[in-house]
Amino acid sequence: MSAILRLENINYGYIDGGYRREILKNLSYDFEEGTFYTILGPSGSGKTTLLSIMAGLDKQESGKIYFEGEDVDQIGLYKYRRNKVGVVFQSYNLITYLNGLENVLLAMTETDNPLPKNKEEIAYALLNMVGIVNTKADRMVNKLSGGEQQRIAIARAIAGNEDLIFADEPTGNLDTETEKEIIKLFQMLAETYGKTIIVVTHSNEVSKLSDRRVLLKNGVLTDI
Amino acid sequence: MNAFKRAWRYITRRPTKSLLLIITFFLIGNLVILGLGISQAADNAKVLTRKQMRAAVSYEVDYDKYYEYVNTLEDEDEINKAYQNYPRVSEEAAIAISQDERVKAFNYMMTTTAMSDGFENVPIGNEEERGTSSYVDEAGNEVVYREPNLMIYANLFPEMIEFEEGTFTVTDGKMYDQNDLDQERNVVLITDELAETNGLRVGDTIRISTLNTYMEQEFKAHNLDTEVFFLELEIIGIFHNLNMVDPNAENFRWMSAYESPQNILLMPMTAYRNYYRDTLRAQIEFQQIAYSDSSINVEEAIENNLAPSRVVYLLIDPLEVDQFVEDHQKDIGEYLKLNANNETFKRLARPLDTMSFFANIVVWIVIVNAIVIITLVTALTLKTREYEIGVLLSMGVSKVKVILQLFTELFILALLGFTLAVGSGSLMAGTVGRAVLDYQTASDSQYGEVEDGGYYWHDSTDYFTEVSQDEMLSQYEVSVSPLLIFEIYVLGTAVVLIAIVIPSFMIMRLNPKQILLEQN
Repeated sequence: MSAILRLENINYGYIDGGYRREILKNLSYDFEEGTFYTILGPSGSGKTTLLSIMAGLDKQESGKIYFEGEDVDQIGLYKYRRNKVGVVFQSYNLITYLNGLENVLLAMTETDNPLPKNKEEIAYALLNMVGIVNTKADRMVNKLSGGEQQRIAIARAIAGNEDLIFADEPTGNLDTETEKEIIKLFQMLAETYGKTIIVVTHSNEVSKLSDRRVLLKNGVLTDI
Repeated sequence: MNAFKRAWRYITRRPTKSLLLIITFFLIGNLVILGLGISQAADNAKVLTRKQMRAAVSYEVDYDKYYEYVNTLEDEDEINKAYQNYPRVSEEAAIAISQDERVKAFNYMMTTTAMSDGFENVPIGNEEERGTSSYVDEAGNEVVYREPNLMIYANLFPEMIEFEEGTFTVTDGKMYDQNDLDQERNVVLITDELAETNGLRVGDTIRISTLNTYMEQEFKAHNLDTEVFFLELEIIGIFHNLNMVDPNAENFRWMSAYESPQNILLMPMTAYRNYYRDTLRAQIEFQQIAYSDSSINVEEAIENNLAPSRVVYLLIDPLEVDQFVEDHQKDIGEYLKLNANNETFKRLARPLDTMSFFANIVVWIVIVNAIVIITLVTALTLKTREYEIGVLLSMGVSKVKVILQLFTELFILALLGFTLAVGSGSLMAGTVGRAVLDYQTASDSQYGEVEDGGYYWHDSTDYFTEVSQDEMLSQYEVSVSPLLIFEIYVLGTAVVLIAIVIPSFMIMRLNPKQILLEQN
């Protein structure tokens, strides 16, 4: 399998209490297409920082990131975020004055990726796929449960036809039952739709269900 | 879901916040309309009054300025010389100005009183009450004073303002033409009433004179010929004058026959100049003989008196009067001026100007405050919306689009607020404006009153239409014109645009990772 995302010598650090703290040190790693990854690591190891850099929300100090062989710097961070990747957060991060359907449509409108004209139908289909029925899709998102909101967030992350999905502790706010359902959803997206899923988690239960487990420690990634 | 749709969703699904902003814009809108409405109504009243006034501009001697100069002279001879040779309207400059395309007609005209010889003037109706004037001559006889009963208008061009405006209309024969002027023909047009009173027709001749009874006696006493004062004129046209004597006029009782619009004669200036030159020479010569006064230079005195004291231009558009004066002021020479009767107009308009001035200040204060308030509200709101912005940025929505959404939200709310304010603001502006105006006129009346017999001209040709302050202020009416509505929306848009600047900088500094990490 080819690498959808390649990290080359990534370095990142920050000043903390007058001392520079190195978070990522010459980190290199290849993420393969259609695989469900979980990144584990101790608290403060830089998991969220790494995910932010990979998702284009932050910029590494040095090193290169290649998406399908193309330098992300060349693509441009906004374009990269808009067209190439989807992000799912622990606290869902939905737009609260929009309903579920509109949140998904938002991603479909913003992307430059070619999409069929019947966007609303597709949005409903995506929501149905992640387990949100139409009546719930039409509700304002703050009237839905945490699990339902996270499903909508996942639907929104793939609505622009992105192949790479990042998730930062996506089940952190959810009960065990819902956690399992969300993980199944990620598995299905990887297996059935060939999406690459990279989930940052501290949960061993979640990581056990992924295809590949990666540990971030001392600023580098290693397969477990 | 583009920025416009998101903006619409936001304002419809956050009704309380939207309502508060609409109320803010509504209040701002009311104050802006109040200011703009009052100001515009004041300007409109001035424009309407200006339009009512005739678009007349007079090219004349600036006596105030000239006398100021004379007062600086110390030598007696120089002072006398200055009084004898006061500045004259330049024919060349007058004609050059008349070429301006804004000029509709112009009168390069001399006017003088005269006496009929062998025919009657049109009676005014006050003859019995007024009686006659007389004096006692050296022999002790009472001599009835023969008063002027005609008014001569002698123009240098056939196109007179009065014909252009329709005040005079030729009813028989013709107006003298350029050929008559060039040939210096002794021709005349008389009014239809004068013709009817005397049974005169086109082709008849009339005789007029400018010799008063006293001069006649004096000339005879010195064995001087008076024939030069008599002029025979061929009637080539009869005209109708729309102007009439007003029997209710304050000065009707003492009005002379020559003041009647029906006793006007029109003749070419070239012919009149010949006549005037001869009579003036005779008078000066008489003075030299009778009083042994040899100090007068006859030819110089004659030439000095052959130009009209003023030239009047009638413009097409009354609103161009000020610009016209400004454009030509430099071409007219020292101690001469172009008078548009502006001082009177400005004096009458003072209450409106004061009100307009304060209304404009109110508008600016409101606008500045509006910008500050909206900026603060938006900046504070932005703090609560950082999370939403972070989400949008994490999805690759550009910061420009985020700012566009914010602008659209404010713009729609401003539009609604200002639209609601249009009705109430105009009502308020009408009431407040009228109240302020009443106060203004009450406290400013010492400036507003028209001087007795004002408007500069005391002869028969007053080309400046009189308007009273009451007439001007009656034109004051606040109405929401399309222009006012347009101005309000433009101002509203400008306020929103400026108010969004600081929040925009705040957005540009936002980092999606930081926002979302804080959120998580």
